[in-house]
Amino acid sequence: MYELFIALRHLTSRRRQTIFSVLAVGLAVMLLMWSQAVMVGFTDEMYSKTVDTMMPHVTVEPQEGEDYIHLYRNLIEDINKIDGVIGISPLLVGAATFEYKGKNKNVVMRGIRVEDHDSVMFINDNIIEGSFRDLEVSPNSVVVGDALAEKLDVEIGDTIDASFPEANPTNLKVVGIYNSRTPMDETLAFTSLSTVQDFLDVSNVVTTILVRGDDRERAQEISEEIDTLGYPASGWKETNPEIIQTLKIEGTSNAITLGLIIIIASFGIVSTLFMSVMEKTKEIGMLMAMGVSRRSIMRIFVMESSILGLLGGLLGVTLGAALALYMGSYDYGFEVMAGISSIPFVVRIQDAVIIVLFTFLINLIAGIYPASRASKLKPVEAIGRD
Amino acid sequence: MSEKYIIQIKNLTKIFGDGVEIKALDDVGLNIEQGEFMAIMGPSGSGKSTLLNQIGILDTPTSGTILLDGVDVTKMSDKQRSVTRNKQLGFIFQYHHLLPDFNALENVMMPLLINGVKRSEARKTASKMLEEVGLGDRMKHRPNQLSGGQNQRVAIARALVNKPSIVIGDEPTGNLDSKASDNIYELLRRLNREHNQTFILVTHDKRMAAKTDRTIQLVDGKICEDSRNGNDD
Repeated sequence: MYELFIALRHLTSRRRQTIFSVLAVGLAVMLLMWSQAVMVGFTDEMYSKTVDTMMPHVTVEPQEGEDYIHLYRNLIEDINKIDGVIGISPLLVGAATFEYKGKNKNVVMRGIRVEDHDSVMFINDNIIEGSFRDLEVSPNSVVVGDALAEKLDVEIGDTIDASFPEANPTNLKVVGIYNSRTPMDETLAFTSLSTVQDFLDVSNVVTTILVRGDDRERAQEISEEIDTLGYPASGWKETNPEIIQTLKIEGTSNAITLGLIIIIASFGIVSTLFMSVMEKTKEIGMLMAMGVSRRSIMRIFVMESSILGLLGGLLGVTLGAALALYMGSYDYGFEVMAGISSIPFVVRIQDAVIIVLFTFLINLIAGIYPASRASKLKPVEAIGRD
Repeated sequence: MSEKYIIQIKNLTKIFGDGVEIKALDDVGLNIEQGEFMAIMGPSGSGKSTLLNQIGILDTPTSGTILLDGVDVTKMSDKQRSVTRNKQLGFIFQYHHLLPDFNALENVMMPLLINGVKRSEARKTASKMLEEVGLGDRMKHRPNQLSGGQNQRVAIARALVNKPSIVIGDEPTGNLDSKASDNIYELLRRLNREHNQTFILVTHDKRMAAKTDRTIQLVDGKICEDSRNGNDD
């Protein structure tokens, strides 16, 4: 492989150009690696703040044409047998008008089993006054969001009138106030399952079953298994397509911008290589006289740009990963994002491998043009006597 | 057609230029035997270098044929031409044209490496060759660390290392003083006798030409004189 011998010697002889070319590509790659680590980190953080806490992994609905899931206890037992399921919460949801001292507000009443619902939605984390447990202790009790409490001007211990057309009017005692930092705090009120059943005058039915798995990426698998039990189930990706959409658009535009930076840096290599081809015209002619074929001349120069690309890629990935890990471990002492005081960088091996391969390929392609110019030189003119 | 001719040139014509055409070679015919040590002379612009480039298959003719060892090189593919240049031909130019990034030994190794010879073996053969041209103690020097005469010796070692049957020199001593020039001539002559290789040298130097076996005079792209010099052993 004398081509590699020549290519490497060219690179080591032009040490300064080589170093600057590698640095230029390296810095661009560092930026890409670093930003990828931020992207993955924030995505992860976003998932753990939303998918992992605020939304169920899988939502099970009544069969086609039905308003309710009737034999929900059997269904829950079956779902419980599915691998990876760690929480199941049956819900009965109904609309209601809450009234307290002349103020009223339309709300959604969600009848829950407190323990079960906490295992899927971690509601106990959001309580700011009172407790969810009291829902099961005292009948006809309610937990409201802080925004709703403010609207109705109610406090713990107050009794709200709940009514709705075709429902049995009832009184609900406020036993807790929660804050989930979402708009639901104004419209969602929690009661026990039996309270909503009485209110809607139904028994032994639910409207929805929420399920949590041990890993959000298994949601699809779990929902497909529930489908086979005869109930339509959908994973969080189906019920919240906008999350995936947003991340995809952001990730794509990010990758395009940074990919362009790498391409620009590679243009630097192209121009260095052109200069080197011009400098080495006589040498190329002499190599041809010694019996180096055009294809091999081409190979020598493509190798040079590929090697520069590979070195730049490796350097950049290393620097980018180091920078991300350093910044990720740094405690800023203030909240960078809701509830976290360090930037959540995630450095993934597969990102590094893809970035290095991408840089290598770009530079390989970039080298083709100057290399083909070199290979098309006519030996007589290249040696250029007289 | 005799088998003894290593080079047979027939009706060779080379026309340069677009618009104004210049006939650099005009219907040249020439036969050269194995082991000949010959000189091509002529005023500048007479077509000597063009003829040499044709024999060295560095360029293609406008018409005519060149047979090297019985094979028509004008019909070869780029790959075949490269292989032929590597194995059958050795080039020595006025300026040494060594690869500046490689030391003397590596420069001489290069034709062997291109030929696919193993690195260790190439190193052995190349150092023997460098010793033969009297540079056994300069192997690790780069071209910019050697004198003009030394570099030319390295270039000669490189031209001969693959044991080519034909060695082509375009004013190989044109850039050297007369003493260095004599040394180079003696070296080429000795190698010619030892290995029975064919040498074709373009030169302006009448003194040097007189010492060859055969001299060809070119004028306006035509051979006007072809003389034996009686130096044959």
